[in-house]
Amino acid sequence: MDIYDVLLRDFPFLLKGLGVAIVLLAALLAIGFLLGMAICLITLYGPKTRLVQWPLVVYERVFRGVPIIIMLFIFFYGLSGIADIPAFTAAILAMGLRSAAYQSQIFRSAFQSVPAGQMMAARAMGMSKVKAIRHIIFPQAARHAIGPWTNEFSSEIKETSLAYVIGVVELTRQAHYIITSTQGNVLTVFAVVALLYFILNRAGNSLLYAFERKLAVPGFEK
Amino acid sequence: MADDLILDVQDVKKAYDGLEVLKGISFGLRKGDTKVLIGPSGSGKSTLLRCINHLTVPDAGRIYLNGHEVLDDNIDAMRARMGFVFQDFNLFSHLSVLDNVRICQIKVNGATKEAATQRAKRELERVGLGDKADAYPAELSGGQQQRVSIARALAMDPDVLLFDEPTSALDPELTGEVVRVMQQLAAEGMTMVVVTHEMSFARQAADEIIFMENGHIVEQGTPDAMFTDSVHERTRAFLNVIAEHG
Amino acid sequence: MQEFISFGIQWLPELLKGVPITLSLWIIAITLGFFLGLALCWARVYGNRLFYWISTVYVELFRGTPMLVQMFFIYLGLPQVGIVFDAFTAAVIAITLNSAAYQAEYFRGSVLSVPKGQIVAARACGMTQWQAIRHIMLPQALRRVIPQWSNEAIIELKFTSIAYTIGVVEITAIAYDVGSRTLDFFMIFLWAGLIYLALTSTVASLLGWLERRTYVPGVTSI
Repeated sequence: MDIYDVLLRDFPFLLKGLGVAIVLLAALLAIGFLLGMAICLITLYGPKTRLVQWPLVVYERVFRGVPIIIMLFIFFYGLSGIADIPAFTAAILAMGLRSAAYQSQIFRSAFQSVPAGQMMAARAMGMSKVKAIRHIIFPQAARHAIGPWTNEFSSEIKETSLAYVIGVVELTRQAHYIITSTQGNVLTVFAVVALLYFILNRAGNSLLYAFERKLAVPGFEK
Repeated sequence: MADDLILDVQDVKKAYDGLEVLKGISFGLRKGDTKVLIGPSGSGKSTLLRCINHLTVPDAGRIYLNGHEVLDDNIDAMRARMGFVFQDFNLFSHLSVLDNVRICQIKVNGATKEAATQRAKRELERVGLGDKADAYPAELSGGQQQRVSIARALAMDPDVLLFDEPTSALDPELTGEVVRVMQQLAAEGMTMVVVTHEMSFARQAADEIIFMENGHIVEQGTPDAMFTDSVHERTRAFLNVIAEHG
Repeated sequence: MQEFISFGIQWLPELLKGVPITLSLWIIAITLGFFLGLALCWARVYGNRLFYWISTVYVELFRGTPMLVQMFFIYLGLPQVGIVFDAFTAAVIAITLNSAAYQAEYFRGSVLSVPKGQIVAARACGMTQWQAIRHIMLPQALRRVIPQWSNEAIIELKFTSIAYTIGVVEITAIAYDVGSRTLDFFMIFLWAGLIYLALTSTVASLLGWLERRTYVPGVTSI
């Protein structure tokens, strides 16, 4: 059987792997977004006591300082000791919690790049702190954050491939299955896989750029 | 306190790191009064203005707006009744001019969108910027931005307007348009406290000029009295310097 | 906790054997990546149409696809066309090529951020184009790029763990091996995580020191 026939026959498996990668990506980004935003808000506006701030600093340092492969293994083996948890769930948790550490930093510098005068003016007009954050600071911070967030999105797409190491049957592992089951053409299979990641990345980036343009405000500095 | 005072500032003190910036300041405004605070930089004028709406929390003293004391508990409601115009405008940079003037009407005062829009358009006309409603702050000159920020404050229907050196960040050729708006407001009976170096405005629009130095009120009086025969040596010296350079 | 420590005392020496491999993999790859990145940046900023396109396609391809797939492609795929590398070399090549694409982008951003007047002024006092770039532009651009470059270097340090998937015996591979012998994957990966954390923190402080050492008012900020 010719490699192209194999690819044609097995392409649904690759697409299935791509689907798994996309679900993993969406889940980890969602966890990372919610948790990252929470960490950011607590760091900036929460109590400044060490008891609150220190654990957050340690959290970020640890998740940013350890390779994702190691985190995947720690979560996979660590959780399997507690409960019967599928590799996919372990991957979502490990990658989501790690993304939170990155996203919190993106959000924090975005919030910090909003000039102090904006908060002051909002408060001077009678807005409560919460209203000022919601209506004045957040919309501006979101515009600052979207560029760096697009980068984070891109790196996470590519890192979903590493869930392979704990046996999540995502795109890269599907490719491996095809190669081993058919003694297929390794170069071509990986080229196709690379192309799929590339397209996914491009598509995601285009959407985010479009969103960025939609939010664009004349003269609002990047 | 006198019952007819809109704003009553009583013995306000503020220190930073042991350095007393305000050493017990008292003054009051009746409805329609325009008081102008003048004095050398570092005299505490801006700090005083910020203490009035607790952007800087005073160490001691009391502030009453319409007979209600300004406290941390009611500060948002109190600030909504006091317009504040910043030196560097601080227009909300992600919002159009119209939205800048609308947002606090809606989110703070609970106005409907229609009512807020109408009011915003009226105030923008008042400051001569009716045609800029759809522009964004960055597309406006400094003078235009400052006029929008005045419209933003006016739209809240405040009891008093506080101006913190509203023309200091502007190029000289742009101060005129802002000063004219302020003069017009004073003439229309707006109650205002203005920190400024614009002596023409002080002379023409103020009911009373307050000269501050080193955290004290040195002297206060009508423009005529202050400009022609101020009692204190320091006041005369300051006004002379301003007259030469301003 | 006690179990964790005694486990560490027993297996840490084994794990530490991977540190030189990890570090040499990393140092060789980011150094080669540095020069390749400079060349790519050069091609994109100063090159003719052909160089510009080659460099752009290269950067987009390597930034758009996962490192894991790149490594598989080189180690498992290339032998099919007669190009065979040992695992370590394949890993060095993959990390180099990947890192060069990112470094090139950071260099480009930093080169473009040096005001045009600097080169004009250099030319005006008689420097050749090359001299102007070498003595005026590069010293400024390299200083400005340090923060981003540091991030990139640390990301690649963590990415060396991917080399475990093709059998390079670095920290992650040793950890996995110890895991299969002791059947205590969780414990050994916690220890591996600590080692990586120590490595990344040390590198981060060293690069922070470099940033402060090269600080020039107005060119960079601390």
